[in-house]
Amino acid sequence: MTDLRVHIGSLVLDNPVLTASGTFGYGSEFADFFDLDRLGGIVTKTVTLEPRPGNPPPRICETPAGMLNSIGLPNVGVEQFKLEKWPFLSSLHTAVIVNVAGRSSQEFADVVAALEAVKGIAAYELNYSCPNVKEGGLSFSSDARVAAEVTARVRAVTRRPLITKLTPNVTSIGEIGRACADAGADALSAINTLVGMAVDIRTRKPRLSTVTGGLSGPAIRPVALARVYELVRRVSIPVIGIGGIATAEDALEFIIAGAAAVQIGTAGFVHPDAALRVVEGLEDFCRREGLANLAQLRGSLQL
Amino acid sequence: MSKSVLQLPVIERAEAARQVVRLTLQAPEWARAARAGHFINLLVPGRRDLLWRRPFSVHRADRSRGTIDLLVARMGRGSESLAECAPGDHLDAIGLLGNCFPFDPGLHEIIMVAGGIGIAPFDLLLQDVQGFSCKKSLFYGARSAGDLCRSTLWAESGAEVHLTTEDGSTGSRGLVQDELRRYLGSSANHAGRVIYGCGPTPMLAALREMALALGIKGYVTVENRMACGFGACVGCAVELAEARRDGQKYLLACKDGPVFPIEEILFHD
Ligand SMILES: Cc1cc2nc3c(=O)[nH]c(=O)nc-3n(C[C@H](O)[C@H](O)[C@H](O)COP(=O)(O)OP(=O)(O)OC[C@H]3O[C@@H](n4cnc5c(N)ncnc54)[C@H](O)[C@@H]3O)c2cc1C
Ligand SMILES: Cc1cc2nc3c(=O)[nH]c(=O)nc-3n(C[C@H](O)[C@H](O)[C@H](O)COP(=O)(O)O)c2cc1C
Ligand code: FES
Repeated sequence: MTDLRVHIGSLVLDNPVLTASGTFGYGSEFADFFDLDRLGGIVTKTVTLEPRPGNPPPRICETPAGMLNSIGLPNVGVEQFKLEKWPFLSSLHTAVIVNVAGRSSQEFADVVAALEAVKGIAAYELNYSCPNVKEGGLSFSSDARVAAEVTARVRAVTRRPLITKLTPNVTSIGEIGRACADAGADALSAINTLVGMAVDIRTRKPRLSTVTGGLSGPAIRPVALARVYELVRRVSIPVIGIGGIATAEDALEFIIAGAAAVQIGTAGFVHPDAALRVVEGLEDFCRREGLANLAQLRGSLQL
Repeated sequence: MSKSVLQLPVIERAEAARQVVRLTLQAPEWARAARAGHFINLLVPGRRDLLWRRPFSVHRADRSRGTIDLLVARMGRGSESLAECAPGDHLDAIGLLGNCFPFDPGLHEIIMVAGGIGIAPFDLLLQDVQGFSCKKSLFYGARSAGDLCRSTLWAESGAEVHLTTEDGSTGSRGLVQDELRRYLGSSANHAGRVIYGCGPTPMLAALREMALALGIKGYVTVENRMACGFGACVGCAVELAEARRDGQKYLLACKDGPVFPIEEILFHD
């Protein structure tokens, strides 16, 4: 048996396959389909300080080899999360990473502080795609200084592993990633969705209520891979690859490019057990290739 | 019943109306468990260019044969391909999904209102309520006579059927909601009546207005776009008529629905 374990800061995952935030609910939606404990971990839907209703419909639209969404981070808020969602998540053996967001760096720190007393949270992932109220609604990723400040603020309130999730909608993801690593992130995850838009030519209305939204799915995989590769070259902490991964072959591309782990998002909407298939596919690949562990593969890109 | 992904053999294919195909699928467990409103989410075979599955209501269940029927209207790329499936093919399906129409045995009359392909869940509803003595009225509208999906269950269940077509080729000329309005206008006592609606948004909006004005209880199914169908993407939001006390403004069509109390939600195009 190949050893598929990976280290993310002090966290050890049984295998490098996680589910992506906002695409796996709080786990229970998938429990009918497969044994969630086969996963390396679950990343929860984004949790915010206060409850949020989310955006008006239509929130989603199918596009070539992908989809657009403008869900708007609906969630019950951190206090209800602890009461309603955590009991199921804590019953799992797999690592549970809680994804959080805020409208200011202080709010990010407040959500995390509110979760510190909860036993069993494996790590936090910071969602930087949320608009920053203080900076006039710009994303927290738009500026290396702001991006680093959020990570530093959260770093100050927790010793748990901290993953900063980056958006690709920036000029230099490498610079932002580097700033977050220097500010104390234990790992980076990338990418969040790409800004996109679609129009219904019959009604001449945008297909999403918010006009633009986030593109995900197979269409973004090459973009994601290039961003992950850029990050891997810029930082020495682990990078978690996200974007259009649906099969073990897709995941292997990211690992060979240097990713420590991967997250499966949109693929799980179509094949609920997609993440499990990736785990099994990685096991098969390593067995066939006679690999003892993933380190032999990681960053093995031949140039 | 827990949700699962199954490979369903296609047993039969028939033209149910112009542009509508009836597929019979082998699915014994789902045939037993399905109630009107439940749907399944199908991968479109041979169309890897389409990312999402396509949702279809369970139209009918043959519990002794272990089969379910779907009505597939040709609306676009996915439904066109699904309508071409033939016996021997297999369909990759997630089910059973969603909730179902609530039924109270004490009702005097159930009024089913279908617009176009919205007829799909009502065969199963007629099956569900067979054996109950309530009056069964079906109001069913389509563009033209050739677009109506007729069913043997109408006679078998003793339903009173009111057909409308937009071109007047069968039944009354006009829209199904107008036919219903005339029917409801002819009596003042609506106690023990319930309206079940499935169809295009303007029809649902008209039903809502009528039901609220006359104080008739009603339920409708919605057909939002769905990326997953099982509550994971939170994309199929339906707007609540009144926000809940905790600030909740939306429900999910796939998980909280597709059947909703008519007064509870708002309809958008
Ligand atoms: C719970 C549920 C039950 C359903 N039951 C049935 C059924 O029993 N029989 C049946 O024939 N259909 C049913 N539908 C509708 C069916 O799923 C869609 O017609 C189908 O997904 C369209 O896919 P397509 O690839 O053919 O169309 P596409 O090529 O994707 O689109 C064709 C056109 O239809 C529009 N469109 C696509 N999907 C929707 C939608 N959901 N709402 C409004 N406009 C849309 C597109 O914008 C486009 O203009 C149901 C839908 C839901 C949500
Ligand atoms: C419907 C939907 C909802 C999402 N919600 C969140 C979210 O709440 N928080 C977050 O950090 N990312 C969210 N994402 C982004 C995903 O986690 C992921 O970064 C992105 O979809 C790319 O991966 P994929 O192509 O595998 O889906 C969401 C994506 C989708 C499609
Ligand atoms: S379709 Fe994904 S949550 Fe309803």
